[in-house]
Amino acid sequence: MDHEAAQLEKQHVHDVYEGTAPYFNDLQSKAWPRVRQFLQEQKPGSLIADIGCGTGKYLKVNSQVYTLGCDYCRPLVEIARSRGCEVMVCDNLHLPFRDQGFDAIISIGVIHHFSTKQRRIRAIKEMARVLVPGGQLMIYVWAMEQKNRHFEKQDVLVPWNRALCSQLFSDSSQPRRKQQCGHPERSHPYHPPCSVCSCSVCFKEQGHSKRSHSMDYEPMMARACCANISEEGEEENGFYNTFGKSFRSWFFSRSLDESTLRKQVERVRPLKTTEAWANSTISIQPSRHSSLDLDRQEPLSTREQTSDEDVFVETSQKQLEWLRAPATKKHLRGGQQREVRRNGDGNFLESTNTNANRVNAGDVEEGDPSSKILRRISAVDSTDSNPDATMSVEEQQPDVLDSRALMRYYHVFREGELYGLLKENVSELHVLSSGNDHGNWCIIAEKKDNCD
Amino acid sequence: MKLLTHNLLSSHVRGVGPRGFPLRLQATEVRINPVEFNPDFVARMIPKVEWAGLLEAADTLHLVEVPKEPIEGYEHDEKFLRKMHHVLLEVDVLEGTLQCPESGRLFPISRGIPNMLLSDEETET
Repeated sequence: MDHEAAQLEKQHVHDVYEGTAPYFNDLQSKAWPRVRQFLQEQKPGSLIADIGCGTGKYLKVNSQVYTLGCDYCRPLVEIARSRGCEVMVCDNLHLPFRDQGFDAIISIGVIHHFSTKQRRIRAIKEMARVLVPGGQLMIYVWAMEQKNRHFEKQDVLVPWNRALCSQLFSDSSQPRRKQQCGHPERSHPYHPPCSVCSCSVCFKEQGHSKRSHSMDYEPMMARACCANISEEGEEENGFYNTFGKSFRSWFFSRSLDESTLRKQVERVRPLKTTEAWANSTISIQPSRHSSLDLDRQEPLSTREQTSDEDVFVETSQKQLEWLRAPATKKHLRGGQQREVRRNGDGNFLESTNTNANRVNAGDVEEGDPSSKILRRISAVDSTDSNPDATMSVEEQQPDVLDSRALMRYYHVFREGELYGLLKENVSELHVLSSGNDHGNWCIIAEKKDNCD
Repeated sequence: MKLLTHNLLSSHVRGVGPRGFPLRLQATEVRINPVEFNPDFVARMIPKVEWAGLLEAADTLHLVEVPKEPIEGYEHDEKFLRKMHHVLLEVDVLEGTLQCPESGRLFPISRGIPNMLLSDEETET
């Protein structure tokens, strides 16, 4: 069981982070304010560990403390290192630290990548072990309960690539001078879609390294992503128009990749019994259409922790009207939700086949799948007058595979679950506070005295 | 990797427990990185240091001699604090290895980054 769990995490956490790490080089991601506050409140001279530090955005928040960052993903650690941070590569489940070495620890967007309850507990216990008595641990995990999205299950595979190119929609009326860009070819306004995310501007290559945990750099990363749409003043509108066209075909190709993906899955389906299908508890989170976000113009920093599927992070409504699909995801899903078979107590791996990589479309549980797919395509068609573009994409098998390959696994937490996990399984920690911050359940706990 | 970091590291090879500290340091490339001296910061770090481990590491690197233990009134002894500041924060091991004193397992340090990952066999419980 543990081996399967590790395998799942390798494929849908570590490999994805490692493969995409090279693209985050120049991108500054924002720190969650509450986390910053926690770090700034630590006494001067404290020893602090950021377990799952990613590119190290929390490592320099407080210059009066010594912060050590660790992550499973070497490429991300390298990036942090290049910024002058003290970092290392290690495993949350086997922290290479002596007992009671740290005054404080943060674990931001990490625990939700562990695929079994036992592993999540182990990760927390390891952090408790290396904390001094009286030291504090802050944990952030993605919440199942979200305002803008609906997780059908707690164990989900989330597509990686949508938000990477959200910048493509930046309002051309808000000129941006120098935009940070991770890739070298900024001078070219247009690139053919690449296989990683079909973004027509960025990410030419598909690097493959391996491993990572930090997740919350995405939203910021997405915003700072490639497109220099308003690079030169006079070029603005012309650039955007050219860009807009290619982007449109990009966008729809992504949507259809997803429906193509479902078709792929659908073809497999007849081989399985209905029961087996019902037993599959990992769902793929469909890409969230921008239409759900169009009405929200929040600046990124106050936005809930959006998934990496939120393509349109900061957008102008006017420009995006043409993207509104009459039938949104929510509409399509409607009706009955299949009972979530596993809550946080169970391990979904117990019920699935050994092929834990099997991918299951989340909303095919209701009604006739083929008609659902047709519905989605037609929704897309209604806003795009070029049906040919939509059709041709279906032949792009590689995109489908890439889309599947870059799914990240999350166990999203229900309200009270993280608290319960600590209370029932980690007696060495005493919970000081818990709450919700931008779509994350967060907890601050203290290492009890006299228990090591 | 700074020596303050080294001081926190311990081998987690199965079965080794507390005997995994301190890791034996061997460096092939070391760099000195000037870091702004903050006496208060250093003074607060001193009590947290596992002194024996620090002595061993500093010795391996042939660094300025570190006293056998923090001297009396160290908080106000600038000379002492500057020395410790240098040893703990300015010495950066770029290439080398960290060896588990109990099992002999080597962990590489490369480009200043220690890689402490173990294989499945080494961590199986």
